[in-house]
Amino acid sequence: MGESGNAEMNPLSQAVISGLMMGTVYALLATGLVIVYHTSQIMNIAHGEAYAVGGIVSAVMAGLSLPLWLALAAGVAAAAAFAVALEWLMLRPRRDWSINGLILVTLAVAFFMRGVLNLWVGADPLSFPRLVSGRALRIAGGALPPQGLLLIIVGLAAALAVPLFLAATRPGRQLRAVAENPDAAALMGVNVDRTRTMAFAVAGAYGALGAVLLVPLISVDFQSGLGMTMRGFIAAALGGMSPLPAVLCGVGLGLAEALVNTYLGALAQDPIVFLALIGVALWQSRMIRFGGSLRA
Amino acid sequence: MRPSRVLALVLVVCAVASPYSGLVPGWTPGLATIVCFDALSLLGLNLIFGVVGMLAFGQAAFLALPAYGAGILDTLGFPFALDIIAGIGGSLLLAFLMARIFVRLPGMYLAVGTLGFGYVVEGLARAFPAISGGASGLVFSRGRAIGADAWYAIAVAALAIGIALYSWLVRGAFWRRLRTICHDELAAAVLGIDVAGVKSQVFVVGCAFAVFAGILHAYYVGVIIPEDAGVDRSLEQVGMLMVGGLGYLLGPLIGTALIQWLFIVTGYAQRYELVIYGAAFLAAVAFAREGIAGWLDRPWRIIAGWLDRRATPSPVSPHGGSSPIAETRADRSEACLAVSHVSKQFGGVRALDDVGFSVGFGEIFAIVGPNGAGKSTLFNIVSGIEAASAGEVRLMGRDLGRVAIANRAPLIGRSFQVARLVPDLTALGNVMVRLDQIDPTLNESQRVGRALAQLESFGLGSLADQLVRELPLGQRKLIDLARAAVGDPPLVLLDEPAVGLTSDELAHLAGLLDQLRGRGSAVVIVEHNMEFVIGIAERGIVLDSGRVIAMGRVREILRDPRVHEAYFGALA
Repeated sequence: MGESGNAEMNPLSQAVISGLMMGTVYALLATGLVIVYHTSQIMNIAHGEAYAVGGIVSAVMAGLSLPLWLALAAGVAAAAAFAVALEWLMLRPRRDWSINGLILVTLAVAFFMRGVLNLWVGADPLSFPRLVSGRALRIAGGALPPQGLLLIIVGLAAALAVPLFLAATRPGRQLRAVAENPDAAALMGVNVDRTRTMAFAVAGAYGALGAVLLVPLISVDFQSGLGMTMRGFIAAALGGMSPLPAVLCGVGLGLAEALVNTYLGALAQDPIVFLALIGVALWQSRMIRFGGSLRA
Repeated sequence: MRPSRVLALVLVVCAVASPYSGLVPGWTPGLATIVCFDALSLLGLNLIFGVVGMLAFGQAAFLALPAYGAGILDTLGFPFALDIIAGIGGSLLLAFLMARIFVRLPGMYLAVGTLGFGYVVEGLARAFPAISGGASGLVFSRGRAIGADAWYAIAVAALAIGIALYSWLVRGAFWRRLRTICHDELAAAVLGIDVAGVKSQVFVVGCAFAVFAGILHAYYVGVIIPEDAGVDRSLEQVGMLMVGGLGYLLGPLIGTALIQWLFIVTGYAQRYELVIYGAAFLAAVAFAREGIAGWLDRPWRIIAGWLDRRATPSPVSPHGGSSPIAETRADRSEACLAVSHVSKQFGGVRALDDVGFSVGFGEIFAIVGPNGAGKSTLFNIVSGIEAASAGEVRLMGRDLGRVAIANRAPLIGRSFQVARLVPDLTALGNVMVRLDQIDPTLNESQRVGRALAQLESFGLGSLADQLVRELPLGQRKLIDLARAAVGDPPLVLLDEPAVGLTSDELAHLAGLLDQLRGRGSAVVIVEHNMEFVIGIAERGIVLDSGRVIAMGRVREILRDPRVHEAYFGALA
């Protein structure tokens, strides 16, 4: 993070600190993917675009010399609106399509959004000022900027609120009912469409929350989305598509990535993430008894 | 030769000669050569994604891999032939590994896995510029020895071979199998198709098209850069295929030719390129599912049909073959199906608890019970979709727990509550899917004969050539039944066969079940229509919350007060 001028840097501590920060963002992304998966049975490939939209809108607004909090709120709102628009305009009219057909639609939306962002802000990375500034905290030879601490605390609290919300509140239980069986939930008086919209809105806002907290530290560009989708998916799949394990796996993925980055170099990052995905696939395969992805 | 074939041949000759005509600005032999190579690769993607519906977003990586492999070996000074063979072989091995890892899982894993694979290949090509040439690319100089016209001839020949290979592969039983997997993997598995195995094969074969196209492309263009392997190029391929027409033989060629030509005449719209491309891709995915080949298909059929009708008498539909073997098993005294102490646990929920019963040959056996009683789970265990947590299922004395799901198909026919047929196959084609699986020794015309005879004996002969998607639901259910029973399996499982049938169809169904019983099959039906059950079945069980609460003669068990409470009490 380039914070410290002091001598004794401990690379391990530093890796753990940046791993926790990245991991928090992955946990937020994974949480969004999981709730969307549960309400709509689809893997939303455009999910990472919420991160890109949130970060870029915030950066552009901050550049217009709006108050920072307003710029960040605009970023989160834009991402939530994007996610809801995806559900309303692209997915809801195609409810009778196959799951794979809908996944393809989300891919196309991701691709289109990337083009729009490229046209709007160009290819250069963007950033904006931190919410909290000040000297970096020194922890066991690593430097944690206050913004990073804020990211970890707010991000993890938000991510962990989801499992709690699902277990303890009425809308949460409705969301779980829709996940179990949409038809039965509809018969019991749950508004399935509204629940889906809510899931997409929360997912979009969470993706953007990660962006508005992380982008002051690591800048965003128009093609950040797909990579974020992939990392969120790995965490979600590793966590068996359930919210609490997905949060933990997101943090774990961030830590693993940071350690690889520190000890093997940044070039090894993509291949290692891919190896993690292969690991997840092999681990999931062992539960499948007969060929194919069968669901009766 | 039929006149439509002559017309097609003339069109092909015109298409091949068109780059030399100069009629279309920008359509040069050089561009046409690239189009041929891309179309060759897209034939593979068409197989994977268009025909089977697997989400594979890494086709460009498989175009670039063999080129990088061969090119790197070339710069290291290995002999040329070895470079090519190693590049192709290595890439195919990676395709095989990808298939083994991802194909068994739900579709999104392959989608994300192939996307990630593209990232990795692109990233590695950038990361090691000393070997891969880095961003400025890896140069192939050997291709320059061949003239442009010769390259065009090579490209046309390669595409022609590709199209011939594709049409030879994607037909008959294999085509039916692929469409069944595409529409319904569960039904495919129950019909005895090795879903994961076939999908792996398709993925490797589809990648092989890209691998061969990629190596030709690299030597023609003379350079390969990391972006060639990347996600953008892969998505471009998907987009070209969607525009051209998913699943159509000529979709790849039409899509590539149009998009590549548009790129040239619009001069790569620079800043707008990504957004225009994204919008086109989105429009193709969301609105134009059939693509250009899709809407050329109908006029072509009309023209071809008109030409051929004038020239030849009406085509003779393939007929004949042997009639179904009416093997009598009624004399066999042992039980056909014996279920003993079967339990099934889902997490904390006990879906089945110590269920046991047996069914004899030539008997119709009923399973009744309220929704959620465990009837479907029981069917799933017998047909092999789920494993029992405890207990044993024996079929003609064999422990089914040891029989793989694909090997159960000859023994067990199953119909579904909502008919799970392939909508874009004919009724005949749907019945043939099961014959393809249970008797590989039959040839195509024998299968046609058997399937037709089956449909006729079910009174559905007149529907044989109709596409299933054009038929009403009731008829689909009867076709599903005909499919389940074709080849006279010893055990037929029917899930709510009477639901949604008109009273005429119900009477017809009762006759058909009688016919199955007469042929010696053991028939197990799950059914809610009590009148129908009493009329057709002698014995049965009542399930409630996973337990057998009554067993015996149907008339008696349905009078049992406990059954009334569990079943009708819930309704009252």
